[in-house]
Amino acid sequence: MLEALGIGALVLAVLSVLFLVALVLRRTSLARAERRRNELEARLRPLALALVDGDEVEERELSAEERAILAEAIGRLSRSVSGEARERIGEYFAGTEAYTAEVGALRDHRAWRRATAAYRLGDMGCPEAVPAILRRLDDRDPDARAAAARSLGRLAAPEAAEPLVHTLVSGTVPRAIAFRALLDIGPGTLPVLRTLVHDPDQDVRASAIELLGWLGDASDDSAVIEGVSDPAAEVRARAAGALGRLASADGADVLTRALDDRIYFVRLHAARALGQVGEHAAIPALVRQAREDRFEAARAAAEALARIDPDALLAAADEPGAGPHLHEAADLLRV
Amino acid sequence: MSWFHTLAIALATITLAYFAALNVVYLAFTAIAWRDLNRHLRARGHAPDDEIFSSPVTPPVSVLVPAYNEEPTIVESVRSLLGLRYPLHEVIVVNDGSSDATLGRLREAFDLVPVRKALRVLLPTAPIRGVYVSRRHHHLWVVDKENGGKADALNVGLDVAGGELVCAIDSDTLVEADALQRMIRPFLVSSEVVAVGGTIRAVNGCEVRAGRVVKERPPRRLLPALQAVEYLRAFLAGRLGWNRLGGNLVISGAFGLFRREPMIEAGGYLHETVGEDMEVVVRMRRRGRRAGTGEQVVFVPDPVAWTEVPERARILARQRDRWHRGLADVLRRHQGLAFNPRYGRVGLLVFPYFLLIELLAPVVELVGIVAVVLGLLFGAVNIPFAVLFLLVAYGFGLLLTAWTLVLEQWTYRGYGRLRDRVWLLFVSLFEGLGYRQMTAVWRLRGLIGYLRGRREWGVMTRSGFTGDEQPSA
Amino acid sequence: MSETLPAPLVLVADDDPDILDLVRYRLERSGYEVATATDGVEAVRLAGELTPALAVLDVMMPSLDGLEATRRLRNDPATAEIPVILLTAKAQDADVQEGFLAGADDYIRKPFSPRELSARVQAVLGRR
Repeated sequence: MLEALGIGALVLAVLSVLFLVALVLRRTSLARAERRRNELEARLRPLALALVDGDEVEERELSAEERAILAEAIGRLSRSVSGEARERIGEYFAGTEAYTAEVGALRDHRAWRRATAAYRLGDMGCPEAVPAILRRLDDRDPDARAAAARSLGRLAAPEAAEPLVHTLVSGTVPRAIAFRALLDIGPGTLPVLRTLVHDPDQDVRASAIELLGWLGDASDDSAVIEGVSDPAAEVRARAAGALGRLASADGADVLTRALDDRIYFVRLHAARALGQVGEHAAIPALVRQAREDRFEAARAAAEALARIDPDALLAAADEPGAGPHLHEAADLLRV
Repeated sequence: MSWFHTLAIALATITLAYFAALNVVYLAFTAIAWRDLNRHLRARGHAPDDEIFSSPVTPPVSVLVPAYNEEPTIVESVRSLLGLRYPLHEVIVVNDGSSDATLGRLREAFDLVPVRKALRVLLPTAPIRGVYVSRRHHHLWVVDKENGGKADALNVGLDVAGGELVCAIDSDTLVEADALQRMIRPFLVSSEVVAVGGTIRAVNGCEVRAGRVVKERPPRRLLPALQAVEYLRAFLAGRLGWNRLGGNLVISGAFGLFRREPMIEAGGYLHETVGEDMEVVVRMRRRGRRAGTGEQVVFVPDPVAWTEVPERARILARQRDRWHRGLADVLRRHQGLAFNPRYGRVGLLVFPYFLLIELLAPVVELVGIVAVVLGLLFGAVNIPFAVLFLLVAYGFGLLLTAWTLVLEQWTYRGYGRLRDRVWLLFVSLFEGLGYRQMTAVWRLRGLIGYLRGRREWGVMTRSGFTGDEQPSA
Repeated sequence: MSETLPAPLVLVADDDPDILDLVRYRLERSGYEVATATDGVEAVRLAGELTPALAVLDVMMPSLDGLEATRRLRNDPATAEIPVILLTAKAQDADVQEGFLAGADDYIRKPFSPRELSARVQAVLGRR
């Protein structure tokens, strides 16, 4: 039995050495291939830049390999640009082999391939891909969903607005990514958002109102102001936040009243928003909140005072019993 | 004589079986690591890093830096932390009653001014003497407090921190610029994740400039090089494997990212233990599981931080001794987890592994060696058996290390130059020829010391980041 | 007699080579000369040496970030007059404010349109 073990060990050792050798050889050949690709890329880069920038380029005959590398280079540059440069990139990729391959790969049985395809299609900038990418928001694989969300943002697809808001609520796509995608889609989301602020689901209302704060305009003031009186605390808080971002002067009254909300994080967001709006009339209420409220809400009030009226803050901080938050805000003001 | 023979053979065989089992486990981990690293690499093709970076709702991070007598390196370290690639982070340095000019250097370099910062006292700590903010970098805070130890300093940091996540680091750790960006991802995917760790590597031998590693080189000396190899294996073939098998119980104290709320609710770091980095993770997991608020601990294989490993055997001995005492302490404090099905895989798989394999390995190893050697001398054990023992115990281990090295270079950055990789392969030969045995002795000493009641820390002398050698204290 | 004015020099600093290439390509086509840097320290040094007509700085750079670099340029009389356009991927409003407080003249978010950047460069230079 011991001999068997011994032979087994020996066999294992020999196999391992062979394995190691094979790996080292493969690594060397991969390195060589990578070097070659880098050379090609360096040569093709000026062409990629010209295409992205919109210069007239003479159509050169490129080998399949060169076209693939050019596609990759343009795809990468695509991540840094917006505007008419992106349109040009979309025109370049439309109908190319690379594009068709990626659309096909959206239905690959391997999750990582679907995710990479969804991602690359965002770089390629062809709006025709949007319906196919949209379907990936329901993919089993979280990476594929996230890549799809990201690309829908890059492609500024208004059809994606509602599904993306729902991913915010359901958490099927990381919040940071879905939110960024919605911001990227921009004004195209507004019709959907303006409907969703009246949705029966409070989480949907909350997300829609929050996004209106970022993307909306003066016409959305009234919807957001309504939100500050919503039965759900989360909606009230985000509506307050949105009013701050919209810097709506009409909102100042309702925000000041929101400083008396039962829920502390509503008071917190209301205070912050008042700081952004610059509402002088709220100063006494804010001073009170900075002195008496619980930690986070008090701190937000003190910070808001610093933005609205530095002198008032300094005066309030010098009063007896001003409390730690006013002191901190005053000290930070002097920094 | 025969009872001796029997005993020797019995012990040797038990040890052999133990090693065989151990190596099967390591083999499984390496196989898992292989698959997961490949997956991780492929994920780079669709990593939405730009979007995470530019999203306004990416969670803010507070970087906590406990500092005790770090005068030579603290300014450089803080500067590089301020420069981390992340949309919203603050750096909180906690000066733990340093007796040198740590605070003075910080004050001078960053133009600090005192501020009456509003403090929540959520965790009991040693008294705070003052809080400062930097005029130049409004996200840099320095808290000056009376000495209380690293755990205490971190707890102060937790109280002061404003971010949703806290990053606890050792003040001499060099953090990669993208580290926060990479480590944040598991938190974004699931709210059940409470802690994330990454791969820590040995900085000895690397070229460092302005707090960043500009050239990655393995250590030139044998002892630190052995540690570099060890770290690679421990992270890539160990911690990565645990991601799938129940989650990690350890996040390195040198660099870890945690959700602040669960950490504070669990009570912050514990002073009375030497293994405070592991202890807080275990406690967070227990609490998270019981409360249903989430207990996932994820390891991200990306290299994220660099730390200096001991160059002298004496310092290394004290470190390993302390680590093992820490491990023993944590296991004792949380013995309720052992084989407890209420804690799922952590109780049934992860904890028993740490107890039977990590903790007791040095005991088994040394007993086995003694048994084999004596057995050989007294004819109880024959040469083929001894050779088999060697093969199973060390030869296989060597193979696994080699595979891990190749794995790392294959899938990840590895060291660029061929001679560096060959050097490490060569170094790994010596692991079984003395290094492992030495660390086993030190760990055993730690275990015995713990059982007898030793609780203190050792002292590690810092050579600074440039790699200049300093005579040890 | 016609005098050919030397093309105005623009300093561009970003640790992302794609951005550097894109910006340089567009600015050179628009008739500017371009000098590049990959970190803040190099940017400040080059600004001192070359005295560009304008500097385009990325905010997130190693060694020295764009905000700090802007402050240093403003504090040095030799470079205090150089207009600065900041480039950033970050979305926080606080950063925009900090940028202007540090002395920047304009702020462009990434991803950006190279032609728009060129137009802003022209506008800022026209203002001075």
